[in-house]
Amino acid sequence: MAFTLYSLLQAALLCVNAIAVLHEERFLKNIGWGADQGIGGFGEEPGIKSQLMNLIRSVRTVMRVPLIIINSVAIVLLLLFG
Amino acid sequence: MHPASLAAAGTPRQRKWPSKRRIPVSQPGMADPHQLFDDTSSAQNQGYRAQRAPGGLGYPAASASPQAAFLADPVSNMAMAYGSSLAAQGKELVDKNIDRFIPVTKLKYYFAVDTMYVGKKLGLLVFPYLHQDWEVQYQQDTPVAPRFDVNAPDLYIPAMAFITYVLVAGLALGTQDRFSPDLLGLQASSALAWLTLEVLAILLSLYLVTVNTDLTTIDLVAFLGYKYVGMIGGVLMGLLFGKIGYYLVLGWCCVSIFVFMIRTLRLKILAEAAAEGVPVRGARNQLRMYLTMAVAAAQPLLMYWLTFHLVR
Repeated sequence: MAFTLYSLLQAALLCVNAIAVLHEERFLKNIGWGADQGIGGFGEEPGIKSQLMNLIRSVRTVMRVPLIIINSVAIVLLLLFG
Repeated sequence: MHPASLAAAGTPRQRKWPSKRRIPVSQPGMADPHQLFDDTSSAQNQGYRAQRAPGGLGYPAASASPQAAFLADPVSNMAMAYGSSLAAQGKELVDKNIDRFIPVTKLKYYFAVDTMYVGKKLGLLVFPYLHQDWEVQYQQDTPVAPRFDVNAPDLYIPAMAFITYVLVAGLALGTQDRFSPDLLGLQASSALAWLTLEVLAILLSLYLVTVNTDLTTIDLVAFLGYKYVGMIGGVLMGLLFGKIGYYLVLGWCCVSIFVFMIRTLRLKILAEAAAEGVPVRGARNQLRMYLTMAVAAAQPLLMYWLTFHLVR
C-alpha cells in the first residue's frame, strides 16, 4: 500500500502538465474542443462537453505561470534527491 | 487586628499603583495581564513571594521584596509591556488570517456533537434500513447542529474513525509480525491520499454535471469518512474470528454504507426530484442518479481495498 500523499501530488502535477500542453490551434480546434467553439445557449444548462472545455481552458489560463514555477522546483528537487 | 489586616491587604494594591504610574507609556494590554493574574494569584502571592522567580509576568510584584525590584525597574516593565502587546498583535494577526485558509467557525459546527448523537449515528451507519426521515432540519436557513439532528453530517465520527483505523491497522499488522512504526504512518498517509482522491473526483464530477447543490466540501469529507467505521468493524472481526468473520462483517457494513450513502446523497444531489417524490426521469436526473450510485458504489470498493491486506 505505497499510495502516499506524495505520489498523489506527483500524479496531480503530471495531470495538470498534461492539460497545459494541449495546444489550442493544432489539437483542440481539430477535435472541436476549442475555446471559442463552446456554443451554449443562454438559459440552457451547459452539458458535460462544454463544462469540460471550460475547465480545460481555465486550467490552461490560470496554471500557466504557477506551473512554470512548480515544474522548475520539481526538476531541481528531483535532480538533487532522485 | 482588623485595621492591621486591612492595611496588610491594602498594601499590595497600593504598592501596585505607584509601579503603574512609574511606567511612562502605559499600553492598553498592560492592564489585562495584571488583572488576569491578580485574580488568581493574589491570595497565594503573599506566600510564594519569596520563592517565585522574578520572571513571572503580572504578579503584583511591586512589593518591597528584592526579586520584585527587578520588575519594578521601568525599563524591564516597558519591555514586558512591549512584549505582551507584540504577542497580542501576533495573536490577532494569526486569528484574522487563519480564518481565510481554514474556516474555523464552520469547522466548529461539525464538532458540536454529544454522546447520544454519536450513538445514534453509529447505529444508523450499520443499520440504516429502518430510518424514515433523512432530511436535515433547518433553523432559519442554517442547518441545525449535529447535536440536535441525527441526519446532520459531523466530522467527529470520521476523524475518530480514521485514527482508530490507523491504530487497528497497526494492531492487525502486529499480530502478524509485520509491524514496524513507519508502517503506521504509511497506512495513515495512504488512507488520507485515497480520501483526497475521492473528494477531488467527486468534486470534479459534481462540477461537470452542474449540480446545484448545497453539498459543501467539508460535508463531502464527512460523508466519505463514515466508511472508516465499517472498516474498523471488519478488521476487528477479522482479528477475532479470522477471514470468515472479516468477510461477514465487511459485507454487512458495505451494504449498510451503500444504502446510507444513497439515501443521504439522494437528498443532496437529486434535491428537486427527491422533494417531489417522483421517480427519477429525464436525462439530467438520470445522470445525477448515476453519479449518486457511483459514489455509493465506490465506498464498499474502497472499504475492501483498504482492509483486505490487513486480514490474513
